[in-house]
Amino acid sequence: MISRAQPRSAVRLLSVEEESRHFLRLRLTLVWETLRAMLTGARLRLSLVVLLSSLFWAALYGLFVEAFSFLDSLNADVTPLLFNAFFSSLMVMLVFSMAILLYSGMYQSPEARLLLTLPVRAETIFGHKFREAMWFASWGFVLLGSPMLVAYGVVRESSWTYFALILPFMLAFVTIPAALGGIVCMALVGWLPRLRLHALSIGLTAACVLALWLAWSFMAQPQLEVMSAAWFERTFARLAVTEQKLFPSWWLSSGLLEAARTDDDGRVVSPGLIEAIKFLSLLIANALILQLAAGWLARTVYRRGYSHLAGEVPARRQRRIGWIDRLLLGNESTGRRPLRQLLVKDLRVFRRDISQWSQFLIFFGLLGLYFLNLRSFNYHTAYASMIGFLNLAVVGLILSTFTTRFVFPMISMEGRRFWILGLLPVHRDQIVWSKFLFSFIGGLIPCTMLVFLSDSMLGLGWQLVLQHEFCCLLLCLGLSGIAVGLGARMPELRESSPAKISSGFGGTLCLVISSLFIMIVVVVAALPNHLFLLARALGPTVIAPDGFLAWAGGPWGAAASLLIITTVGLAATVIPLRSGLRAFRQLEV
Amino acid sequence: MIEFDHVTRTYGPKTAVADLSLAIPRGELFALLGPNGAGKTTTIKMLVGLLHPTRGFVRICGHDVVADPRSAHLHVGYVPDEPCLYDKLTGREFLWFIADMFGMPRHLTRDRIDREVECFELTEFLDDLAESYSLGMKQRLVFAASLLHDPDVLVLDEPMVGLDPRSVRIVKDLLSARTSEGMTVFMSTHTLAMAEELADRVGIMVRGTLRFLGTIMELREQVALEATSLEHLYLELTRPGGSGS
Repeated sequence: MISRAQPRSAVRLLSVEEESRHFLRLRLTLVWETLRAMLTGARLRLSLVVLLSSLFWAALYGLFVEAFSFLDSLNADVTPLLFNAFFSSLMVMLVFSMAILLYSGMYQSPEARLLLTLPVRAETIFGHKFREAMWFASWGFVLLGSPMLVAYGVVRESSWTYFALILPFMLAFVTIPAALGGIVCMALVGWLPRLRLHALSIGLTAACVLALWLAWSFMAQPQLEVMSAAWFERTFARLAVTEQKLFPSWWLSSGLLEAARTDDDGRVVSPGLIEAIKFLSLLIANALILQLAAGWLARTVYRRGYSHLAGEVPARRQRRIGWIDRLLLGNESTGRRPLRQLLVKDLRVFRRDISQWSQFLIFFGLLGLYFLNLRSFNYHTAYASMIGFLNLAVVGLILSTFTTRFVFPMISMEGRRFWILGLLPVHRDQIVWSKFLFSFIGGLIPCTMLVFLSDSMLGLGWQLVLQHEFCCLLLCLGLSGIAVGLGARMPELRESSPAKISSGFGGTLCLVISSLFIMIVVVVAALPNHLFLLARALGPTVIAPDGFLAWAGGPWGAAASLLIITTVGLAATVIPLRSGLRAFRQLEV
Repeated sequence: MIEFDHVTRTYGPKTAVADLSLAIPRGELFALLGPNGAGKTTTIKMLVGLLHPTRGFVRICGHDVVADPRSAHLHVGYVPDEPCLYDKLTGREFLWFIADMFGMPRHLTRDRIDREVECFELTEFLDDLAESYSLGMKQRLVFAASLLHDPDVLVLDEPMVGLDPRSVRIVKDLLSARTSEGMTVFMSTHTLAMAEELADRVGIMVRGTLRFLGTIMELREQVALEATSLEHLYLELTRPGGSGS
């Protein structure tokens, strides 16, 4: 018979309510302290986030107002399909992102390790991490969804009840995929630990197959005039699969559409409002029951799953020298050059860090998929040229997020290992140059290929293709120069997390300068071309042949544009790099 | 107080801890020694419930750590090898959070925080955010948090990492004082001098098996070496083909 000691009178097990209250207080304190730190130490970053989010929201709102007005003018009743397609795809994304966020929060974080050694219920820990993950996963959903729903209400002149119901509908809806994500995550870790990788592979493969099928089906359809009623009908008919009455996205769409209904005098239609409330109740009831199910699962499998996972040891794998390493290292006599060795080291780290190459692959892959679809549309020449430049800007912006997120922190990340490099007979300049070359070559190859793909699909002439490729070269040079230069100028050698380094002041500055640089290059490069097309469209009666606009749209304008972008590109490369090299030479570690 | 009952833990084909049976009574300071990869951290993680045994049972004050983790944790204070704090909480807020989790009454929490703050000399930085702490400061705060509720069992995984000599002395004195008051300490360490100075018994683990269990005196008798320091005895015992094989 085992005797169980009673705890000392000073301590006791808490009730569920007490545990929840203490965790809520913890969450509020953490949020408040984070906000206070941002308000005092990161005002620039906070202001930029608020400003850019507001701009993004306003732009989306404007776009949706135009889109809904346009759809009304076509008399195409595709709004239910649009809502269903939009919310069902967001639902799938939310399930995946919640599962991934909860996996890292509940099984990989030091906080989980601390909480699991305290006398707290597993379901309370789950609830705490669930609310955190739900916030991270759903703010994007609100930022994307709310402008569309508000715009719809404005265009349809809905009553205030519709606008008042938007937030409750969204919150109730978001909870469902969030809880499903939690269930998927815990079930996979707790019950099917060995199947985790297979499940992930199957999920990813299914998602890729679906994306490819959709892309193919769009490409395979007969070429129709873009934005025509027939085009809309054909395109949206393919999305009818998302109109399933068992999907929470259908309950959300139907509820909101009912709530938005008004009579001819603009008054609320009572049956519509009642239907909307019924759909809202359905969403809330399902959200609550799924949360209960997730809580039960946490109680049953969370600790066991954590133990399973903590007990897993990474398999030892022999790493051979890859062909690309051999290529870069060259033969034995030249292979000892430090610059090449540093380059190969960074390449190996990149290859073996799944978070880096997977994001690289996903973003550039999606962009490639979008470019592949361009051929299915018939464009007017002016449209095609404009879209070509916009695509160039998108490629540049995506590259700038990578240079900010991964290249900017590279010098800082050497901080903890600086004694290795510091003791080697390597000039410090070579460390900076190796990062620059790594970023430049790594960016140049996919970017030039993507720009070429975009231009080919748009059917642009060879002069424009050459111009775009030259701009792409300048963007890769400049963005690498900015990220590496600023990274060497403002290193954070004590910080071990690249995410924290890139989201600090230096990282924010890098992103802002990179965005400005891209805008200048693309706008200056696009201007002569568009002025030329404008002059041709409007004729000499509107644009004087000897005026500035005609000059700017002519060969001299093109030459001036080329000169400006080359100067800006070289300046963006050389100035930050020189400054970074100088600062890094003098850096005391 | 602590009981390992035929505990085995495997990682796939590898056995990290093999059929460990060990009982540590109230008021004893037990030091677990062993080379890297011997299974010490696995043993500690099973003791605090982060890992479940593949076979066998771990009990703290009679409570099964797997079947009834909350009751078991109520008796335990744990100092991990890597201190975990909330960056955006001050030291004081962290201590209050831990006290709340153990259901301690407010007035008692206030007194205990004052006691631990004085003991670990935390006053200077207690109201700063933890993100500004050095490793030693973090470790001292984690020690304070683990002792707030006067646990029956204190589990320490490499407790002296990051501590300055003065803090090491404070911890040593505190462990001696608390064990004499009845607290049981289970400590994993590589610092042999500390085990020699403080431990009532030591266990030496090699490749998942407890190769020796007893006092330092018994170890000397078993190894039968002229050498007098624990370091020599330990090296002899953990050497492949040594006395303990």
